[in-house]
Amino acid sequence: MAGPLAPTRAPETTVEEHDDLDRPWVTIVWNDPVNLMTYVTFVLQELFGYDEPTATTLMLQVHHEGKAIVSSGPRERMEHDTSRLHAYGLWASYQRDS
Amino acid sequence: MKPFRAARGGQLVARLDRAEAGIVGLLLDQLEQLLAADRADSSGDPVIERLFPAGHRSDPALAEDYRGLTEQALRGGKADDLATVRATLPADGGEVRLDADQAGAWLRTSNDLRLALGTRLDIGEDTEPPEEIVDEGDHQLAVYYWLTALQGSLVDALVAGRAGRR
Repeated sequence: MAGPLAPTRAPETTVEEHDDLDRPWVTIVWNDPVNLMTYVTFVLQELFGYDEPTATTLMLQVHHEGKAIVSSGPRERMEHDTSRLHAYGLWASYQRDS
Repeated sequence: MKPFRAARGGQLVARLDRAEAGIVGLLLDQLEQLLAADRADSSGDPVIERLFPAGHRSDPALAEDYRGLTEQALRGGKADDLATVRATLPADGGEVRLDADQAGAWLRTSNDLRLALGTRLDIGEDTEPPEEIVDEGDHQLAVYYWLTALQGSLVDALVAGRAGRR
């Protein structure tokens, strides 16, 4: 489901045993019936510096597909991004990219 | 209520009736109690679960790590926001005038109040505002939609203000 707006992934590694370590982590925002669409767009712009069209596209992906990847990178940064989203009440979690 | 609008100098201004300010004050009291409750006592409360969701969905150990790392700071942030809203709420109704930081606090706290009420009322994508107020549930639903309008106007005013600064 990764669209053109999904954050860039690290290049695939050819060394099998490093694969798990090299796979980046991602932060996901899940759909919920309370958060306003305008609010979700606003928060994505505030926290990640996305321009309005990018934030709107991600918000619509959350709304229509149930979730969207909003950032990717090392685990510690995804924990941090998740907690920043939780501070705004967005329904977020982090996981290894699948 | 006169909804929020962007005013000169980047301020956000709204006006609340006395009854509206009273309702916000009561909701703040309830949220404050919930946030101050011992984690062990409030664990399993769906509102607490929604305000402090699991950071990781399928790995309980990672979710516990995340909770340990973040929950205290998240609770502190929500308590600070709540205090800011209380300090800028006209207790008897009147004008609410906010700078950018205070507007951020109102934005997050009004969202927390909507999440808390929405969870208690089991709000879904298809829930509609009540047509008439017959029982306590209708009243709470009406309060939820009133908060939605208030928060929505604040988001719109902040977006308008941001566009105006470009």
